[in-house]
Amino acid sequence: MLVVAAASQQDGTEDTLAIDIDDAESVDVHAEGRDAEALIKTGALQRAIFNSANFSSIATDAKGVIQIFNVGAERMLGYSAAEVMNTITPAELSDPQELIARAMALSLEFGTPIAPGFEALVFKASRGIEDIYELTKIRKDGSRFPAVVSVTALRDAHDAIIGYLLIGTDNTARQEAEEERKKLDQRLRDQQFYTRSLIESNIDALMTCDPRGIITDVNKQTEALTGCTRDELIGAPFKDYFTDADRAEAGIKRVLAEGRVTNYELTARAIDGRETVVSYNATTFHDRGRRLQGVFAAARDMTELKRFEHTVRQNEIQRERDAAHAAELAVVNQELEAFSYSVSHDLRAPLRHVHGYVEMLQRETDGQLSEKAMHYLKTITDASEEMGQLIDDLLAFSRVGRTEIRGASVPLGELVHDVIGSLEMATKGRPIVWDIAPLPAVVGDAALLKQVLTNLVDNAVKYSRMRDPATIQIGCGGDETERAVLFVRDNGVGFDMRYAHKLFGVFQRLHRPEEFEGTGIGLATVRRIVARHGGRVWAEGAIDKGATFYFTLERSPSA
Amino acid sequence: MTPLKRILLVEDSARDAELILDALGGHQLANEVVHVRDGADALDYLYRRGAFDERSDGQPAMILLDLKLPKVDGLEVLRQIKADAALQMIPVVMMTSSREEQDLLHSYQLGVNAYVVKPMRFQDFVEAVRQIGAFWE
Repeated sequence: MLVVAAASQQDGTEDTLAIDIDDAESVDVHAEGRDAEALIKTGALQRAIFNSANFSSIATDAKGVIQIFNVGAERMLGYSAAEVMNTITPAELSDPQELIARAMALSLEFGTPIAPGFEALVFKASRGIEDIYELTKIRKDGSRFPAVVSVTALRDAHDAIIGYLLIGTDNTARQEAEEERKKLDQRLRDQQFYTRSLIESNIDALMTCDPRGIITDVNKQTEALTGCTRDELIGAPFKDYFTDADRAEAGIKRVLAEGRVTNYELTARAIDGRETVVSYNATTFHDRGRRLQGVFAAARDMTELKRFEHTVRQNEIQRERDAAHAAELAVVNQELEAFSYSVSHDLRAPLRHVHGYVEMLQRETDGQLSEKAMHYLKTITDASEEMGQLIDDLLAFSRVGRTEIRGASVPLGELVHDVIGSLEMATKGRPIVWDIAPLPAVVGDAALLKQVLTNLVDNAVKYSRMRDPATIQIGCGGDETERAVLFVRDNGVGFDMRYAHKLFGVFQRLHRPEEFEGTGIGLATVRRIVARHGGRVWAEGAIDKGATFYFTLERSPSA
Repeated sequence: MTPLKRILLVEDSARDAELILDALGGHQLANEVVHVRDGADALDYLYRRGAFDERSDGQPAMILLDLKLPKVDGLEVLRQIKADAALQMIPVVMMTSSREEQDLLHSYQLGVNAYVVKPMRFQDFVEAVRQIGAFWE
């Protein structure tokens, strides 16, 4: 193989040589001893380079026709030197599209049209500009590989270009490595994105700080909590964003000392003053060398929990209050009932004595007293009887609260007949028309309900005694599923509806005692009993047009 | 004429006693009435002890017993009488201030023979006796 080389002479001049490097012994006829040694050395070097499979060395003439094609080139490109020598240019071994692109780029760069061919490969070198570029080479079998090519112009003594040297390396491995690196980079970015998005999407306000308590990173929840941006927070002391800075600082110290801290409550304060109660879980974190990096803390917003706890506490307090109140009421009721019971009993004794002694007096003075005196005695008796009645009524009224409502089935119809029966004495000789409808069985206490009927029927009888005939109706309304609506109606003197609300009050009367006797407790007792049975009472009436008294009771489920 | 039978009246109130005695006496009921003022005396009388340790006559044919008594109250007297085999056949008429008290007493099931609500009229007394039954034999 012939190599064109420039050899320097001792006198400084250069000499061009054509050396057959395969022939180690061949020397230029012009060379002297020492120079010959140098030439041999150079030859060895060049031989080594040329024989290297890692480099493709292609030399061309000025027009680009291949003159030298080394082993490396043969190996890389798959052609034997004989196939390409003196026939083609390296352009034919290159990717045509790239050649075109390169030609265009160079044309633009240098402002002169450059043909997409060998010229594009060597243009820069021809101008003396150092040129290394990437190019896709095409092998004999059509396969491609990326190459890096370095081009140098070969000049004669007069600096004229006599050819070019193109040295190339197979860049495949490097490219693959590059691809791999890019893939790893991408994976790393994806990983970072993944990790970061987890941190940012976490509901808790996350934060890292260094061992001194200076913030090193935050997520957007922390930004929201403090009202500051990430940039403002990083580098600032953690404790600055809490109402109790000392406590915050103590928290950091504790994490550093113990490795972790849980449920550490702090009140965060944003720059706008807004305070949020949070609970911190924090740990220390380290690098790969197990060196302490700082503290990683997560703050959970406790607002909802606090609100919930507050509500629960309020409800508890309310319940306690209600229970205390109910207990108080129970005591008061109990005392009231004990009071009315004992009062009525204690009041009865002297009353009994008054009554009894008047009677004895009457017997003792039989015939001896004046009419006026007799009248006085009678008045005393009447008055004491009234008082006795009052006491009985009061006792009945108080008894309502004391007795337990036994939820038995009470046949109202029977009860009504009992009541009317017991009024026989009072109604003897009076023209009364009874209109009693069938009455249902109701749930309740028979004794108490009898009291209700007694009081209402008693009233009906009393207030209709001027009528001839007095008509007294007892009936039931309301549909089957609802509570039974019972009523007692009379055609007596009635009452002014304007005072209807007073009817059921204790001691409230709408008539004078001279008109109609009565204590004014009867209806109050009725209301109390019905209320204890879960029902209600009301009345309708008009002056001189009679009255109707209604009350509701729960129907007894049919047997 | 059958021998008049003795009534033991246990009543603390002087007025109530006077009224009762009037009710009993006023109708030619000439039975002997022994009046004691409290439960302790009632028991002493029946057991012939204390102030009555010299008593030699028989037991009363009927006891009119008030509920509220000082020292030993009516309920306790009643219990002791009915628990004692020697005394339990003596009929006891309880005198109460109200029907409620009557009901309450009845619920104790202490073997009361009859009830009367004060003031006890003669009629009430007759009715009570009728209930006891044995008095007039």
